[in-house]
Amino acid sequence: MSVVRSWLVRLGGLFDKERRDRELSEELESHVQMHIEDNIRSGVAPEEARRQALLKLGGIDQTKERYRDRRGIPWLEARLQDIRFGLRMLRKNPGFTAVVVSTLALGIGANAIIFSLVNGFLLRPLPVLHPEQIAALAIQQKDVPLGVSGFSYSEFIDFRNQADAFSEIFGNVLSTVALSTNDRTDQLPICYVSANFFSALGLRPTVGRLIQPSDGEGFGQSRLVVLGYAFWQKRFGGDADIVGERVRINGREATIVGVASKEFRGMFSPFEIDAYLPMGAVLAEEGLSQFTLSRGQGRVLVFGRLKPGMSLPEAQNSLDVIALRLARQYPATDAGIRVRAIPEKLARPQPYANDVFIVIGALFLVFAGLVLLLACINVANVVLARALVRQREMAVRAALGAERSRLISQMLTETLLLAVFGGASGLVLAEVANRLAPSVHFPGFPLRLDFAFDWRVYTYALTTVVFAGIVSGLPPALRASRADVNSVLRDDGLSRGVGEKHRLHSDLVVAQIACSLTLLVTAGLFVRSLQHIEGTYLGFDPERVLNVVVDPSQDGYDRARTTEFYRELYEHIRALPGVQSASSAASVPMGSFPSRTSVFGDFQPADPNQQPPSILYNMIDPGYLETMRVSLLRGRDFTDADGETAPLVAIVNETMARKLWPGEDPIGKSFRMRSAAGRVVEVVGIAQDGKYQTVAEDFQPYFYVPLAQSYASRRVLEVRSGVPPEMLAAQIQREIHGIAPNVTIVDLRTMKQSLEGGTGYFAFRLGAFLAVQMGLVGLMIAVVGVYGVVSFTVSRRTHEIGVRMALGANSTEILVLVLRQGAGLIVAGVSVGLVVSWVLSRTISHVLAGVSATDPLIYAVATATLSLVALIACWIPARRATRVDPMVALRYE
Amino acid sequence: MTDKNDVWQGTLALMVLKTLETIGPLHGYGIARRIEQTSGDLLSVNYGTLYPALLKLEQEGFIASEWGVSDNNRKAKFYKLTRTGKKQVEKEAREWEQAAAIVARFLTPGEAER
Repeated sequence: MSVVRSWLVRLGGLFDKERRDRELSEELESHVQMHIEDNIRSGVAPEEARRQALLKLGGIDQTKERYRDRRGIPWLEARLQDIRFGLRMLRKNPGFTAVVVSTLALGIGANAIIFSLVNGFLLRPLPVLHPEQIAALAIQQKDVPLGVSGFSYSEFIDFRNQADAFSEIFGNVLSTVALSTNDRTDQLPICYVSANFFSALGLRPTVGRLIQPSDGEGFGQSRLVVLGYAFWQKRFGGDADIVGERVRINGREATIVGVASKEFRGMFSPFEIDAYLPMGAVLAEEGLSQFTLSRGQGRVLVFGRLKPGMSLPEAQNSLDVIALRLARQYPATDAGIRVRAIPEKLARPQPYANDVFIVIGALFLVFAGLVLLLACINVANVVLARALVRQREMAVRAALGAERSRLISQMLTETLLLAVFGGASGLVLAEVANRLAPSVHFPGFPLRLDFAFDWRVYTYALTTVVFAGIVSGLPPALRASRADVNSVLRDDGLSRGVGEKHRLHSDLVVAQIACSLTLLVTAGLFVRSLQHIEGTYLGFDPERVLNVVVDPSQDGYDRARTTEFYRELYEHIRALPGVQSASSAASVPMGSFPSRTSVFGDFQPADPNQQPPSILYNMIDPGYLETMRVSLLRGRDFTDADGETAPLVAIVNETMARKLWPGEDPIGKSFRMRSAAGRVVEVVGIAQDGKYQTVAEDFQPYFYVPLAQSYASRRVLEVRSGVPPEMLAAQIQREIHGIAPNVTIVDLRTMKQSLEGGTGYFAFRLGAFLAVQMGLVGLMIAVVGVYGVVSFTVSRRTHEIGVRMALGANSTEILVLVLRQGAGLIVAGVSVGLVVSWVLSRTISHVLAGVSATDPLIYAVATATLSLVALIACWIPARRATRVDPMVALRYE
Repeated sequence: MTDKNDVWQGTLALMVLKTLETIGPLHGYGIARRIEQTSGDLLSVNYGTLYPALLKLEQEGFIASEWGVSDNNRKAKFYKLTRTGKKQVEKEAREWEQAAAIVARFLTPGEAER
């Protein structure tokens, strides 16, 4: 108690020092007087009495000093003194302060932005009960890499029933549905959730109730809807009475039972989920056999909550056992499956095998760190330059007994102050940038950009501030405080000491050029990667195509009516002015959810345990290949004769032809879909390869079957026009509603827009954008650094230059002299930078598309750009050096 | 002077507190003289060390100070024991006696053998 009290009092002792000092003086004065009086009384002469009294006191000033140390907290007082002194120095040099603060603001701001992105995507825990217990389960099937496919419903149920390491295993299926009230229809990203989804997460409803285990997962039960909080606010104005309201989901009646909690936005991190439906409702979209009975690849994304005290490796063991058991039980579909439990945070948005998001996140944090390092080096250089100017002061203070640690602490305080101001401005900068970010939006892509700053971002920013303060302050502080008083006071400007200091300057600039080159090379790699992707061969022509997704079954149309609806619609659309051709298909490239099926046939190896290949396919009508401009390489296109009753036919792509029938002519070959007992499909043509799911994918097997032979109610109409396709949108909508007023238009966008989405160029654009920004900021900071150092040396060498000129050197020689120094720095920096980039780019090679991490062109362009700009930065002070007037320079010394 | 012992820091606090308990409010010079007298002039207090010690006791809340007038009409700062200070005297005295008793056992021959 008394210890705490005394520290508090001592903290108070930092204030009102003058009054306390006065009181102490008075107290000691009266003490001395009393002592003198006593001495005189005992017969000592007054002078001697005073001497004895002071002797016994141990000297008034020494006593005062000891007293003061006890009164306050000397260490803290010294720091406060440093801070006051630092603030005074910064105020006295507003130009210097502004330059340094804005440099650091850029560096720290860049870090805050990148970190808030990483934080938003990967670090922020789910707003659920004990988020650390949640693990994502990733399934790996034979021939299908980890995370490419989800669980099938049957496998999900098997794992849920058998995995005893988890207290709950729950899953969800991402999809989109049309939600209609009487007056309007919205297309929503939703997920179908298992009955225990919300209870396993420990979530509470905002109003009403959530889907709960007692609802069961029975198919055909009454349909329930839980709304997402944001959608409830946006669409229903946060009206609590909405509970119990009836709506239509894809045309069928359903009841809103509640609203999810405000913070919860679903389990798929880049998306905001607008509504949650029971898993049983998937049936309406998929057909019984497809969803419930099939094994192998599926769409259920599965999570588990670890039992308390259960570790991930233990859980993994139990999963391995179940996988083995299932593989034995269902050799045809489950042979070779593996399920990996991954901490939920490391599996966002989906457990991909190559952890691509984590790699990219870490990568950009490293880049942001490099930018900050560049900024720090600049600051260190400026501070060092100033420290050299103040070297006399330092040396004198050291000679007078100032401790070296005190001098260092004082200089560090100054840079830490600068870093604090820089950090504050940087955070403001980052806030502004983040505010602007959501306005750079992507049409139709329900991307959730929630990069709000939380304590993690602030902690990170604080760490960067301390880092910046120390990194930019320590080297100059160590160097300047080592000043040797003899050489400094003798003031020989050409002494050994100064040469050493120039070397530190130079080393810093070399490091800066190296960092900057690394950033530029990376920016180059990302830009080339984007260019490659944009120029990549898609296998179809995306120009002037409008895609319209409709699904008349949502309004209760049966097969006959649906077929009639589409037939009528084509006639109308083909007759529209501007339309060149129109067709329909079950899906389009980069659209959602292409179909996939197992393919059986005589190409099958004898081993019955081997799984049949699982291949993507599309259902198209005869005009599709022509409308999308997919070339038919051999054989024939579908015709109207390939109807329901005709023999089944297919067109395969080049990769499928090569993989299934290597070295043979696939035309005339046949295979079976879905099961070994399926109907025989004959290959009648070979189409060009293309991209089907994402623009970055490798060519994969794919085939087409006629829509007429494989019914789908939900279709995409592709309209190729001679005019910009957006112009046709309104007309087409009118035509659709003219034929069937109630039919929901699920989606309407141009092929170009689809290509900008998440399956298209989005990630590449974002990566290239960020990398280029950081490359430019890095270049700017590095150039300022080079300029600063070269001008500083020029000003230090004014005398020498003057002597040279007086001895007959002409201005070209002076120019060369200075430029040679700059060029030396640039060459050294570039060499180091090339090595660093070469090493670093290896680690990112797998996130780049179609560009080698060691592409010599990129290295050459980056080197040339940096060298050129840096040379210009040297040239300016070099020019100034040539204008030195020898007379002035010599007289000055 | 040289044959006198300097006061150890730890014991100075107890002496100050005990002095204030016995005599009541007193100024710094008085406390110092009183300690020397009580020790039978065996101890020599460096008066300068007394003031930081007084400050420490005041910060810990064992003593309080206020300005007053001394016997010979001189303005001086008077220190007095607080309530917690009184408890502290008892506590420290007890501890000191205990420590002294233990050391004494070691110093008394024969007793330590047992």
